[in-house]
Amino acid sequence: MDVTLLVALVIALALIFDFTNGFHDTANAMATPIATGALKPKVAVAIAAVLNLVGAFLSTEVAKTISGGLIKEGGSGVRITPALILAGLIGAIVWNLVTWLLGLPSSSSHALFGGLIGAAIVGAGFGAIDGGVLVSKVLIPAVLAPLTAGLVSFLATKIAYGVTRKRERDGFKIGQIFTSSLVSLAHGTNDAQKTMGVITLALIAAGVQPAGSGPAVWVIGACALAIAAGTYSGGWRIIKTLGRDITDIEPAQGFAAESATTATILASSHLGFALSTTQVASGSVIGVGLGRKGASVRWGTAGRIALGWLITIPASGVVGAVAAMLSQLGLWGVILDVVLAMGAILTVYLVARKRRIDARHFTQPAPGVFVRPKRRKKKPLPTTTGSTAVVPTKGANT
Amino acid sequence: MTIDWLAFVTVVVGSLVSACLLVALFSIGLRLSDGTAPWRRPVSLALFVVCAAVVLFGIYLIVPFLHP
Repeated sequence: MDVTLLVALVIALALIFDFTNGFHDTANAMATPIATGALKPKVAVAIAAVLNLVGAFLSTEVAKTISGGLIKEGGSGVRITPALILAGLIGAIVWNLVTWLLGLPSSSSHALFGGLIGAAIVGAGFGAIDGGVLVSKVLIPAVLAPLTAGLVSFLATKIAYGVTRKRERDGFKIGQIFTSSLVSLAHGTNDAQKTMGVITLALIAAGVQPAGSGPAVWVIGACALAIAAGTYSGGWRIIKTLGRDITDIEPAQGFAAESATTATILASSHLGFALSTTQVASGSVIGVGLGRKGASVRWGTAGRIALGWLITIPASGVVGAVAAMLSQLGLWGVILDVVLAMGAILTVYLVARKRRIDARHFTQPAPGVFVRPKRRKKKPLPTTTGSTAVVPTKGANT
Repeated sequence: MTIDWLAFVTVVVGSLVSACLLVALFSIGLRLSDGTAPWRRPVSLALFVVCAAVVLFGIYLIVPFLHP
């Protein structure tokens, strides 16, 4: 099979995945400032996009082995071929788009792991997967991440509401701008790395690049642009879920949630217990919902999100596995794979257009601006011969 | 299958302390900025400066080549 064509397809799909990763994860940082009105929706996604772009260049650390030990590589294990990577990417992209359509904040990394796992199982059987690593690196952190972030943001909310009085709490909006920007920057330094890792893995597998070398400059640039473009396009459905649907967020809660998210992500990445950004951010929002007196958490929405997390790896794994089976048919199988993937992307796009959710759903009148009331239809004046029953008055029926 | 529970507890404690500290500093800053006594304003400003320092420390942690 023509290796050059295959590698080109892998790079193209990896960049598409990077784009979906961007718009899937805008919400992690920007759902709360948009919900409280700390930032205008368009401004918020623009800041997130720039910080993701910058973040992708800041991190010079070589993108680590993308499979993270999940797939046994090397001598006794699987030889990861570009065709398997392609299949894994298709699984990840399709699942990311489906969850976006449903407005579910699910982890893009898990979608990528799932897709690659599915493809690896088809390529080399179940023996290719290290079940223990799957449980300890993915499943247990998925339970611990929202619990940790929820606890932190719950206490932070209690503090914020205990210390400040009602009329002072608008000041939290200014703090929100900084904390949400930190979340964005942290995201940028992490997530574009994954795609760089995948592309580099494919280039190494194809023999274009020596083994053990880091991502090339053009790979870094392309990944940075793709994730920034994805971030700017917004992912408004997920912003709506996280910012509006779980609980109603006030500025103090927004600040507490973002502080908790930033602190948990930074602690996890520096103290050595990896947690998913998406799951941390969702947990923070639930925590602030529980922490404010009078606020309520819509557990139905939270349950739907948790269900989405549970099935992310199996679902993208199944898609990845089917794609891997097709790709084993040879060149035509791979082409069929790509055509089917494009069809899926187009379908999701068309369905999404029917029920659009975009920036306009989030514009809020600035405080103090007079909102013109809706003009009422003029009621026909009661005629002199008519009864007074049209305008019921007190005591009219007695 | 091994879970590094010690690392997990460190992460929980670390994030709890840092997030609550930042929120407490900012909240007290807001509370103090709202009052008439002459000492309140400078103290609240100082607290906001400390908050800014915490944010800068966050950036320091995020950007890899600032720390070895």
